[in-house]
Amino acid sequence: MALQVLEFEFKSEATQTIAKEWSHLGVTGSGDLEVLFEKKDLGGNVKAKVVTPVKGFDAVWEKMIEKFVNDTGVGNISIEINDDNATPIVVYMRLRQALAEATAKEAE
Amino acid sequence: MKSWTELANSSFFDANARERALGLVDKDTFTEFLSPIDRYCSPHLPVLGAAVEFDDGTVTGVGLIGKHPVFVVSMEGKFIGGAIGEVNGGKMVATIRLALKAAAAIKEQHPDDYAARRPLVAISFETGGVRLHEANAGLLAHAEVMDAFQDCRGIVPIVSVVGSKVGCFGGMGFVAAATDVIVMNEEGRIGLTGPEVIEQEMGKDEFDASNKALVYRTTGAKHKYIIQDCNYLVEDKIGDFHNVLAEVADIPMDEIEKMRRIGSLKLVQEQQGLVKLVGDMQPKDSMDLWKHFGNENPAELPELSTAEFLKVVKRRERA
Repeated sequence: MALQVLEFEFKSEATQTIAKEWSHLGVTGSGDLEVLFEKKDLGGNVKAKVVTPVKGFDAVWEKMIEKFVNDTGVGNISIEINDDNATPIVVYMRLRQALAEATAKEAE
Repeated sequence: MKSWTELANSSFFDANARERALGLVDKDTFTEFLSPIDRYCSPHLPVLGAAVEFDDGTVTGVGLIGKHPVFVVSMEGKFIGGAIGEVNGGKMVATIRLALKAAAAIKEQHPDDYAARRPLVAISFETGGVRLHEANAGLLAHAEVMDAFQDCRGIVPIVSVVGSKVGCFGGMGFVAAATDVIVMNEEGRIGLTGPEVIEQEMGKDEFDASNKALVYRTTGAKHKYIIQDCNYLVEDKIGDFHNVLAEVADIPMDEIEKMRRIGSLKLVQEQQGLVKLVGDMQPKDSMDLWKHFGNENPAELPELSTAEFLKVVKRRERA
């Protein structure tokens, strides 16, 4: 019944991190999630913590976040996700959006 | 996140809680209290296996409009219908109390310039009321908010800003009614029992929640504007809401007091007069009331744009 907490760590050769100290995107709406990126010295690695009500999808979460790390070459960040039943493709899309937001130059 | 200028021209209805909070105050002046990085989540939801959010579904903070500090509470309807629990309720109460403290401090430090610096509280409601997962704490928060309103009475104007998808229902409908000023866009809705709940309890003959036109005629902003439950009706732009807040921030407190709906014997009598009118008239639809207040063609009002509506509408006279 209680919420699932999943923690992962991914090796990353890249050292490209985010511009801001932290960045946030999204809302934990039904079928959606929110993402919090925080800049951290992890020797290039990426840490991820997922809080979700859904059981049994640990491997899918791991694959999806790993794909995001590999596709974007991001490193030295911690990712925290509050999920409410988002599908894998929504997870991937929100992660990409969150990274775009985190690396964007301040508008105006 | 959109820039402030983009936000000003964006739809209020489509904006999330943080965008609304940023756009309601002047450019680049917003500072958030307990933002996502502080991770103040509900302690109750995880126990029940329900998803949490880092800001617990409510954005709080302070910005400026001119020299006025504007304390903002902005609710996110996508997170558990914007319902109020312990953490977001506490954030709301603390933000209102902070506005009162700010008023005292400003009065002391700027006695000559106080009118231009008087604080304001703006609450962007998007909520169904109490969060049932933590209902006791949620109810307590409602009570504390009402108390905080009383403490602010005559000192700091409390402005309701309503124009988001979920509307403002349940206990927060009472809370909005207890504020000084209510600003809405056409999509804004305020009520106590939501349309679906009325239909569920009383049947489709009593209230057909799938009839959106009926729902908006009964709970929507145009109706609220005609019967004087809503003080300002604006276009669906964040910038337009900002402009009304700027106007209200400069209105003297004794004029603000006249914009209220409840809170004095006179106002209670005015409300009783409205109840009596409805009892005598037995209206079948809100349009019967609109006609009573002088609108010859009530059926055309829902079709008009906000600007056209404001030009032709006749409203109930305040007592």
